Amino acid sequence: MATATTGNFRCMMCGHDYTDKVEKGEDRERSCPKCRSNSIRHMKKKAADK
Amino acid sequence: MGPKAIDAGRHPNIELLTYSEVEEVSGYVGNFVATIRKKARYVDHTLCNACEECVKVCPVSKPDEYQMGLSSRRAIYIPFPQAVPCSYILNMDDCLGNNPIACGKCADVCEKKAINYDDEDELVVREVGAVIVAIGLDVYDPTEMDEYGYTRHANVITSMEFERLICAGGPTAGHFVRPSDHERPKRIGFIQCVGSRNPKIGRPYCSNICCMNTIKDTLLLADHYPDTENFVFYQDIRAFGKSFEDMFQRSKETGTRYIRGLPGDVEEDPETGNLVVTVENTTQRGGNGRSGLERYELDMLVLSVGVIPPKDLAKISGMLTLSKTSDGFFMESHPKLKPVDAPTRGVFFAGFCESPKDIKDSVCQAGAASSRAGALLNAGQIQIEAITSRIDEIECKKCGLCAKICPYGAITWQKGEVATVIEAACAGCGSCGATCQFGAITMRHFTDDQLLAQVRAILARKPEDKVFVFACNWCSYAGGDMAGISRIKYSASNRVVRTMCSARVSEDMVLEAFRCGAPVVLVSGCHYADCHYINANRQTVVRVQRLWDKLEKAGVRPERLQLEWISAAEGQKFAKVMNQMEELRKTVTIKEIEHGREALKPKPKKAAKKKEAAATAG
Repeated sequence: MATATTGNFRCMMCGHDYTDKVEKGEDRERSCPKCRSNSIRHMKKKAADK
Repeated sequence: MGPKAIDAGRHPNIELLTYSEVEEVSGYVGNFVATIRKKARYVDHTLCNACEECVKVCPVSKPDEYQMGLSSRRAIYIPFPQAVPCSYILNMDDCLGNNPIACGKCADVCEKKAINYDDEDELVVREVGAVIVAIGLDVYDPTEMDEYGYTRHANVITSMEFERLICAGGPTAGHFVRPSDHERPKRIGFIQCVGSRNPKIGRPYCSNICCMNTIKDTLLLADHYPDTENFVFYQDIRAFGKSFEDMFQRSKETGTRYIRGLPGDVEEDPETGNLVVTVENTTQRGGNGRSGLERYELDMLVLSVGVIPPKDLAKISGMLTLSKTSDGFFMESHPKLKPVDAPTRGVFFAGFCESPKDIKDSVCQAGAASSRAGALLNAGQIQIEAITSRIDEIECKKCGLCAKICPYGAITWQKGEVATVIEAACAGCGSCGATCQFGAITMRHFTDDQLLAQVRAILARKPEDKVFVFACNWCSYAGGDMAGISRIKYSASNRVVRTMCSARVSEDMVLEAFRCGAPVVLVSGCHYADCHYINANRQTVVRVQRLWDKLEKAGVRPERLQLEWISAAEGQKFAKVMNQMEELRKTVTIKEIEHGREALKPKPKKAAKKKEAAATAG
């Protein structure tokens, strides 16, 4: 089984910040839970703090 | 299937390698090289006449896998009736030892001297032009769904175990009895969708065969044992094939009761071994308007288990560079137009490994796959698109990155050597060209120079008024066409550059668009499941993530770069995204554009700087 952690994501279209499950080696299409855009940036810790 | 397997074994053009496993496949269409491990059988099948004398003297008793553990077998056995070749194999894990002193009884009684304890695995190599992947399926193990009591109650069995119990060649010779007391069950329940259509356990797909299998079982019971009462607990009955609805109706006419609702609880009466099933019948309304809660006492409960991708799927996937759907089955080249072709040229699918399907569909697909393979081989040559990669041997820095990311394994590379492209295997996605940092890869018809020239030409005049779009050929560009032919209105400010795959769009192309004054840039491609180049568009995601970081570092708003997956049918989404991009464009100021132009200018490399400094000093 793949190990799952959580990651911070930001929708680059609507600016919605959220956390979601991240699995090692995962292969899934991400979309914003708010606006359904695919412009989802996986925020590294530094970027997320900004 | 037995006679078919025998026919195949006798066919002069078919070499049947049984009890064997593919270890490795290399090469490409027309030139595959397969390395196959022929496992040691310890019995020479050319000598063995299946006289059964060895079985009679073997002292080992193990659960018989073919009979679902409901009976036992010896260490030397025929895996299943009608096995081809009809010869025994000796399971060395079960055998008391290959030292004849330890046991050796089977060898003693074998008149043909067919038993060889020193037999070893053999690796054979075969050169083949095409590969048909038909690795079948595995059955869902219901132990994780213990609300049905499979691990706790003896009379809860799976549909596979039911098949063995009712089969004339089964452990009870077709006498249908229940496991707890070997009495014939009179009230039998079937629970549908165990391990299927259940997102909670990660199996949201329909297994396709279970409904009809249960209907067949109820008809079989009604025919053999007319006094049995059958109850089927279901959420939907999917009987959509030829004559299937007729079978469903016949099953109901025999008295089988279909109860819409899946049981929430199964309890066992410890004295009788009977099972009490509690189910919410959603077709019955209680007095308070709620669905009716019903209880059934049954002699036996059959879990209609779903199917899962075979466990070897990942291994085969790696060997042949195949991709998987979200359900875990192999992904075909195109769901409608190329349903038996794998994305890798020369590889075809047959049966369950591609998606759950019944025997009829599997046979159809197998026929289609063999025809496709036959047509390919008989042609003697293949036609490929001229859109393939070419590597400049002088520019190549031998890093091997292109070989690592090629979804088709079409680039060969050894450490310290120049990478080379196998053009017959290259599908032309261009991800290698976008990845190469040294400009060593030229993508024919979509060269860097050609694409950059388009970027510059589009943004040569009034770039601040334009929404710059990279669209992949197969999906998002076609999505734009769909929006057009559907007469959907959207902002006219977009300017589209077409690439075969979104993975062809290099970082430099996006940065060049910003340098040329593009206020916003959209990179668009196929949805994950639709990627026409196996999984090349995952490279797009990696690249765009990196670009967002770069833009932010350069003080450019990363939001100015957007990423969208738009399918060929999503004209509405294309129009919506274009309107959103236009709104975004309006928020970008001239000052921001100018800052971007400057901040994203390529920095001279250290070596060039030194050269320049030396020239100045000189």
